[in-house]
Amino acid sequence: MAKIVSIHSFRGGTGKSNLTANISACAALRGRRVGIIDTDIQSPGIHVLFGMDEQHIDRALNDYLWGQCSIEQAAYDVTPSPVTDKGGAVYLIPSSIKSGEIARVLREGYDVGRLVDGLRGLVEHLRLDCLFIDTHPGLNEETLLSMSVSDALAVVLRPDSQDYQGTAVTVELARRLEVPRMMLIVNKVPAAFDAGAVREKVETAYGVPVAGVLPLADDMVRLASAGVFCLRFPDHPLAGQIRAIADVIVS
Amino acid sequence: MPSTSTQRDDLAALVRDTKAAASPLRTYLKELHERLAAVRDGAPASYIPELAIANPDWFGLSIVTCDGRSYGVGDCEQPFTIQSISKPLVYGLALETHGRDYVLSRVGVEPTGDAFNSLIRLDEKSKRPHNPMVNAGAIATASLIRGSDSTDRLKKLLAMFRRYVGREVQVDMSVFVSERTTGHRNRAIAHLMLNFGMIDADVDGALDLYFQQCSVLVTSRDLAVIAATLANGGVNPITKERALDAQYVRDVLSLMYTCGMYDYAGEWAHSVGLPAKSGVGGGIMASAPGKLGVGVFSPPLDARGNSVRGIKACQAISGDLGLHMFDGTRDPSPLLAK
Repeated sequence: MAKIVSIHSFRGGTGKSNLTANISACAALRGRRVGIIDTDIQSPGIHVLFGMDEQHIDRALNDYLWGQCSIEQAAYDVTPSPVTDKGGAVYLIPSSIKSGEIARVLREGYDVGRLVDGLRGLVEHLRLDCLFIDTHPGLNEETLLSMSVSDALAVVLRPDSQDYQGTAVTVELARRLEVPRMMLIVNKVPAAFDAGAVREKVETAYGVPVAGVLPLADDMVRLASAGVFCLRFPDHPLAGQIRAIADVIVS
Repeated sequence: MPSTSTQRDDLAALVRDTKAAASPLRTYLKELHERLAAVRDGAPASYIPELAIANPDWFGLSIVTCDGRSYGVGDCEQPFTIQSISKPLVYGLALETHGRDYVLSRVGVEPTGDAFNSLIRLDEKSKRPHNPMVNAGAIATASLIRGSDSTDRLKKLLAMFRRYVGREVQVDMSVFVSERTTGHRNRAIAHLMLNFGMIDADVDGALDLYFQQCSVLVTSRDLAVIAATLANGGVNPITKERALDAQYVRDVLSLMYTCGMYDYAGEWAHSVGLPAKSGVGGGIMASAPGKLGVGVFSPPLDARGNSVRGIKACQAISGDLGLHMFDGTRDPSPLLAK
């Protein structure tokens, strides 16, 4: 089973963080111990889906990167009750949402090796079956490092020409970094599109398997990141599709 | 998409750096560094005042592979004087200048089992010092470096260092002056050799070049690059520039193997199993032919003049990575996987 999985998109707005939260939750619903780390230091956000706000975040990834705490000390048990019932667990390592701390990372940087140690340390200390990395869109140091330590990479894209071009760059770099397993998730596909045709087009273009083609779902948009969709609406067809993707990733 | 060669180089460099940062070897080095930083034995060299002021906490640990990957933890960019680690390199330069037969007629290849600064073990019958790694042999080797004048010889020396480390190097003037004014023992050795007809008349010229070569400033990363260059058949694996004629690499490495660690050479060859050279500045370099170079810097020395942490680091790296040259029982370490 994959231990470290990066979920990435070349451009913002693809629904990457939302999908990361949902895929992680689905994996945890299978009774697994799952970690989610927000390496999107410049524009963090995945904590919102787990109901955390600024007041709840005492220590964040930033503190670890600056050597002010251990990586486990920045991990929060956010296991939702349906996951507890199934014997799984979800830990979240958020990035700081405080403007001053984001500014400090941008100005001062940090020891990138420490991030790598932290990722490996989390898997070990929290005895994780799987660690999902919610990366910063585009390519930066954290993203490249995350990819290079990952056992699998899922790239999220919309059926859009800008996304298509950017995904080609990501795929090329991931190949150069020799990521063992790569897959694409096409998200926010308008109802008018033929999902089968989209899948075929994308697989042919990149030579990378497509793990799922997900529709642009009004119900997901309405939830507006106020919760994890697959937990709120487990019987929704979209939740079934995301569960299938989670099963592919952690298989 | 990469279109020009510069862009391709940039992409390749980015990928290489990322892989190095994410490598389990870097994590291994970090843990090793943490473990050995706690070792408090030994003391910095005190025979010249400039070396005695080194910070005993400085500790840099570097590895450069023959395919050009570079890993480092701790004080890898802290400059220090190369001291005796310059000896095999200058020996290589002498070989390139005069050829193997002539150099062999002037400096032997026999280990002495004596300390680095041993005075009188000069082989009067053969009119040559025992080997180029003890001070007598190194001074005789320095006397073989040709140039129109002392400046020209120094320029040749610095150009050689530049090829090995891939950047311009400097001589630490205060250490050079300190060595020159307090190096009575070396001066005595040189004059003894002159007396025996082992070196040419320009004793002061040879001594100056010797003190200059010892005072070249390097970092532990530089040492790893030098060691990797020797491990890579004489070609710097990062700049791809040749630093030593391929035919003389074996001379340099075999001398490092038998004589590089002074009176610790035998035990070193047995336990670590790699050609290496130490310096009283606190540096040690070790070459694993075809694989990698190790560079360590930590000023506290043991009684034999070898860096305490440096020796422990090389022992651990050789053991953990399966680098001993004569150990056929080990599979390639997964830590060295790309």
